[in-house]
Amino acid sequence: MTGMPVTLLSAALFGLGLYGTLTRRDLVAVLACVEIMLGAASLQLVAFARAANALGNGEALALVLVVLAAAEAAVGLGLVLATVKRTGKSRVEELTEVSG
Amino acid sequence: MSATVTFWLLGAFALAGAAAVVFSRDALRLVVGLGAFLLAVAGLYLYYGMGFLAAAQVFVYVGGVLVLVLFALLLLSRDGRGRLLAPGGFDLAAAAVAAGMAAVLALTLRDFRPPGAQAAQADLGATLLGPMLPAFELLGVLLLAALVATLVIVGGGERK
Repeated sequence: MTGMPVTLLSAALFGLGLYGTLTRRDLVAVLACVEIMLGAASLQLVAFARAANALGNGEALALVLVVLAAAEAAVGLGLVLATVKRTGKSRVEELTEVSG
Repeated sequence: MSATVTFWLLGAFALAGAAAVVFSRDALRLVVGLGAFLLAVAGLYLYYGMGFLAAAQVFVYVGGVLVLVLFALLLLSRDGRGRLLAPGGFDLAAAAVAAGMAAVLALTLRDFRPPGAQAAQADLGATLLGPMLPAFELLGVLLLAALVATLVIVGGGERK
């Protein structure tokens, strides 16, 4: 299944993740929605690799994405924990000061 | 025919998991939804014949990232409010942006054809240690930097 169906699926998943990133108000939930956008992009990459018959390249690229997402999650959740420890706030609308 | 059914089942599973992450108010349901989404994507990787990638996805995401998210959620909800998250609320502008972005992606990628069918190159190891060696080495450095950065940010080593 390459072509239109998987493009529709990954676009829908990306749209869902984007909507969640814009509307969720807990920092951790926003991070989870970003993970969904990353997963959607990586799914589309894999489908393209399948269509181009370049499985090794696609798998390696998607593996790079997996590692990047893991690093992003570790640093992001570390930032969330540090923010909550310093300010006691974990919601987006409460964290409006740039320096403080 | 059954391959099509597999694809759409996994796709529906992924969409349902993503919807749970985006709309649920319960922290644990968010984690379960994220797990369902990640497992469904791993299944789709398998569907495309990338077994190693599917295994890596399960180990790294479901075993690592998901547990991290769970830890963070449980650490943050110690203030007696329970595990309820802030309601997302329907936001027309955000919905418009998301729908527009999805439409742009679907319309632009619809006609995309990957440049010429290359010689079948299914050997992941040869690719990673051949043409993608710089990226592979940089990933190791990135992971180390991310680990050290997380330790510094959370500040575990400063207490005496």
